[in-house]
Amino acid sequence: MTATQLADVEYVVHTLAATAVDKEKEFGDLDAVVGDGDLGYSLARGFEKVLTDWESLKRDDVATFLQQIALVISSRIGGTSGPLWGTAFLRASAVAKTVDTIDGTAVVAMLRAATDGIKARGNADLGDKTLLDALIPATDELERQLTAGASPEECRKAFAAKTRECADGTSVLEAKRGRASYSGERSIGSPDAGAVAVAIIIERIVADWP
Amino acid sequence: MKKFVNDPQQFVPEMLEGLALANPDTLKYVPEYNLIMRADGPDQGKVSIVQGSGSGHEPAHVMIVGKGMLDAACPGDVFAAPPFDYVYETTKLLASPKGVLLLVNNYTGDKMVFEMAQEMSSADGIEVKTLFINDDVSVEDSTYTIGRRGVAGNFFVIKAVAAAAERGADLDEVIRIGEKVNSVTRTMGVALTACTPPAKGSPLFDLGEDEIEMGVGIHGEPGRRRAKMMPANEIVEEILGPVVKDLPFGDGDRVALMVNGLGGTPISELYLLYGQAHKRLAEQGISVGRSYVGEYCTSLDMAGASITLVKLDEEIESLLMDPAEIPIRVF
Repeated sequence: MTATQLADVEYVVHTLAATAVDKEKEFGDLDAVVGDGDLGYSLARGFEKVLTDWESLKRDDVATFLQQIALVISSRIGGTSGPLWGTAFLRASAVAKTVDTIDGTAVVAMLRAATDGIKARGNADLGDKTLLDALIPATDELERQLTAGASPEECRKAFAAKTRECADGTSVLEAKRGRASYSGERSIGSPDAGAVAVAIIIERIVADWP
Repeated sequence: MKKFVNDPQQFVPEMLEGLALANPDTLKYVPEYNLIMRADGPDQGKVSIVQGSGSGHEPAHVMIVGKGMLDAACPGDVFAAPPFDYVYETTKLLASPKGVLLLVNNYTGDKMVFEMAQEMSSADGIEVKTLFINDDVSVEDSTYTIGRRGVAGNFFVIKAVAAAAERGADLDEVIRIGEKVNSVTRTMGVALTACTPPAKGSPLFDLGEDEIEMGVGIHGEPGRRRAKMMPANEIVEEILGPVVKDLPFGDGDRVALMVNGLGGTPISELYLLYGQAHKRLAEQGISVGRSYVGEYCTSLDMAGASITLVKLDEEIESLLMDPAEIPIRVF
């Protein structure tokens, strides 16, 4: 484990948290179309706490750091978002614990563990109009780019582009999980708020990469 | 709304404070996590049994903490799953070398929180397992549920696993017993009125003066049908029938029969229902080995009742008969 790698992970989490806080209103408005409008509020409260606690978080290694993030956001985010996001970080942390180096392959494994965790915890799958519909194909794309020998920068850009493309593509789907599912067919025509939020967050992470 | 309430936000903490003050020798209250635990816990020589859920179902579950029943209960606000950190901290506080069993009624919010807490405390090296209870035959998937809801029948699962743990069973054995009791327990309820959550201040759903909800959930979720008020015996027929048919219970079976009040029904009416249910079972060759009449799992002030049957065998009956010491003593 090198200091650089922990710094990269810290950058990703910090940018994620800052974006969730900055975009509270935008995410809430996205969710209000078919959901209950609390996405922006929930994420902002959870990640606000991450930023508040930032200096005191343990940084022994990437796994410990991510586990602490899981704990903070699960405790703070109400409704079902807390356990879902918390599980994603917890599963990623478990993968990080098993590797010496956080390379591209490890990142793919962490993303897969995170999306598998969300699937299991939320009883959701591809096609249910959730953030999984953006994050899973984007992870597949990242893996393709790595296998093809793309540079880290190319990988990041392809990952962000695919997340955005698939998030926008959730418009044609009917919500099957979460509060948005209460509106059923009415959800068709608008993208999933969680998926779009994830796309916005990843675009910011990639655009500002140090 | 006329209720004994000061600030609706403080409804649960004030109730828990009262409970702890009334039972100073046996209960300990940890206000940071809405936690009620045995004053002498955790017992390092036994599996710790913990239940969490929303509040509003009292005496479930904070008032059934004590020797021979729960080691702890960590409720959320009225009808809301406890926050994740309450469950996680409770699990850590109740950690025992023999492990921790988290009992959860099958609702989506509770399920997520408890599974997450299990995963997180397992990562800390605590041996912890989760058992879901889903005894309500009324409906599959409901407002807050995928699959069947967990309702008053959870009392029997708690009683049996707690007795087994008290006798020294290990975690796997306690889970085997819990799964077995859950698999032979069936419940269905009926609402005569809606309930009023303190923070809402008005009835949770509309139920006409002459209407009843057959198969209602303990958070006022819809059941099978909205019916016109009818004589009590006909109501028993309509809720006992599906319970018997579901397992099914049949000629020669020995059962525990529970008539549970939902919070706003006098015990006199509950015994009236019990009498009819008992006789109807006898007509089908089903004998009642143990009977339970009173409030076990309520829905605030809802008038109504539920009927639970548990198929008894020697093992289950013996566990149900073990002694227990809890704030309410209705068994």
